[in-house]
Amino acid sequence: MASRAPAATSRLLVGFRKWYYNACGFNKLGLMRDDTINEDSDVKEAIRRLPEQVYNDRMFRLKRALDLSMKQQILPKDQWTKYEEDVYYLEPYLEEVIHERKEKEEWAKN
Amino acid sequence: SMKSKTRLGEPYGSGLLVASLENYSPVSKIGVFVKAGSRYETAENLGVTHILRLASNLTTKGASAFRICHGLEAVGASLSVTSSREHMVYSLDCLRDDFDGVTEYLINVTTAPDFRPWELSDLLPRVKIDKAVADQSPQIGVLEKLHEAAYKNALSNSLYCPDHMVGKISVDHLQQFFANNYTSARMALVGLGVSHAALMKVGEQFFSTHTGAAAPGAVYRGGELRVQSGGGLVHALLACEGAAAGSAEANAFSVLQRLLGVGPHVKRGSNITSKLSQGITKATAQPFDVSATAFSATYSDSGLFGVYIISQADSVINAAMAQVTAVAEGRLTADDLTRAKTQLMADYLMSLESSEGLLEELGVQVLSSGTYSSPQTVTQSIDSVTSSDVVKAAKKFVESKKTMSCYGHLANTPFVDEL
Repeated sequence: MASRAPAATSRLLVGFRKWYYNACGFNKLGLMRDDTINEDSDVKEAIRRLPEQVYNDRMFRLKRALDLSMKQQILPKDQWTKYEEDVYYLEPYLEEVIHERKEKEEWAKN
Repeated sequence: SMKSKTRLGEPYGSGLLVASLENYSPVSKIGVFVKAGSRYETAENLGVTHILRLASNLTTKGASAFRICHGLEAVGASLSVTSSREHMVYSLDCLRDDFDGVTEYLINVTTAPDFRPWELSDLLPRVKIDKAVADQSPQIGVLEKLHEAAYKNALSNSLYCPDHMVGKISVDHLQQFFANNYTSARMALVGLGVSHAALMKVGEQFFSTHTGAAAPGAVYRGGELRVQSGGGLVHALLACEGAAAGSAEANAFSVLQRLLGVGPHVKRGSNITSKLSQGITKATAQPFDVSATAFSATYSDSGLFGVYIISQADSVINAAMAQVTAVAEGRLTADDLTRAKTQLMADYLMSLESSEGLLEELGVQVLSSGTYSSPQTVTQSIDSVTSSDVVKAAKKFVESKKTMSCYGHLANTPFVDEL
């Protein structure tokens, strides 16, 4: 995540990242990285905290992707999510949730 | 004997007033008094103080809600919030030795709350419970309705969130209200059982550059609100505009209140000293579940004075009015006056015996007037009330435009213009 940001963002590294992002393929269904995250209890709480607009957008993208996958189709190339446009919207909320959980565990230890 | 002195201070230029009273107690009690009561709500954010009152334990910029709760519990401290129409009071109790550790929570709660949307929406059930409990109580209902009927603005705002705003108070409302009202110029930091130096140091962290919004003065209008509900009793509260807190006229009204009676001083006694009780016993043979007590409320720029009656009979209200009219016509003896003054002084001094009462008195005085009057000064000013002052106060009640709020079985209850 953000803590693993590379010390030096060279053009080679960025090129590799872009290639990997496209190879993953979820962008062909119009999804963002945070739409694909596995929903454990922390993630569920973070999703609960999303502002209404962001949550609705997420639901829309998921619905569209499910529909496409059922029809065994993908979006036309101009509608694929681009690497530059991908917003890690869930990350701040998820970090906060994990931080809170860790705080609780610290207290429980003593 | 140990002399405890109240000391006042103001950390440079922030406008915050700091008052401490070193009473050598093993327990410290610190209060933050803010001019952020329900009177400062506007038409757009009615009910915001109710939410703020419930939101005091939520996450702040410096400490999460979890940490505030567990941090306080770990040292046996407690943080509570009370709000009135004029003030919001955050009070923290802790053992004297733990003072340094827990003040950060108080500072965080009063200067840097985070107002997270999901934490606020989790508050909704608590708002509904508060309102349901208030609806069950006719006393609360009648008081709220009295203020709503008596004033055009400010003091007419209810302490509880109105129905149409439940669930509609947003983060923006809270942040705006907070920015406008929680400025250091509108706060007082009061401590009992703390050293003045330590408290001044805490006060330095309250520095804020906002000046806050100006608040309108309360305008009395006099009106009537009646709420039909089931039950055999009528709760009626009849009041006129009284005097602002701290004025000589307010003292006269308080003495008049004691003269008329504020409830039995002896448990299960027959309340001989209460003029209201005695007058009403003569007027009606029906048992009146009374509380026929005189009611007095004072605020910084206005006040209310009147009688509060709980009864089944409809003639009771007129009988109560007759008693006040009697005083207005000068029919009070010197004995009555001395007795009322002594009762008032005793009540005042006894309220200062508990640390809650003392903290509240200290805080409200410092916040309203910037200084603290010692109990001796207050009792002297009570003693200087003459019978003509009291007669004048009673006349004011009889002649001025009255407000009435009633609650209960209202079939036979007279309207305010029929009294």
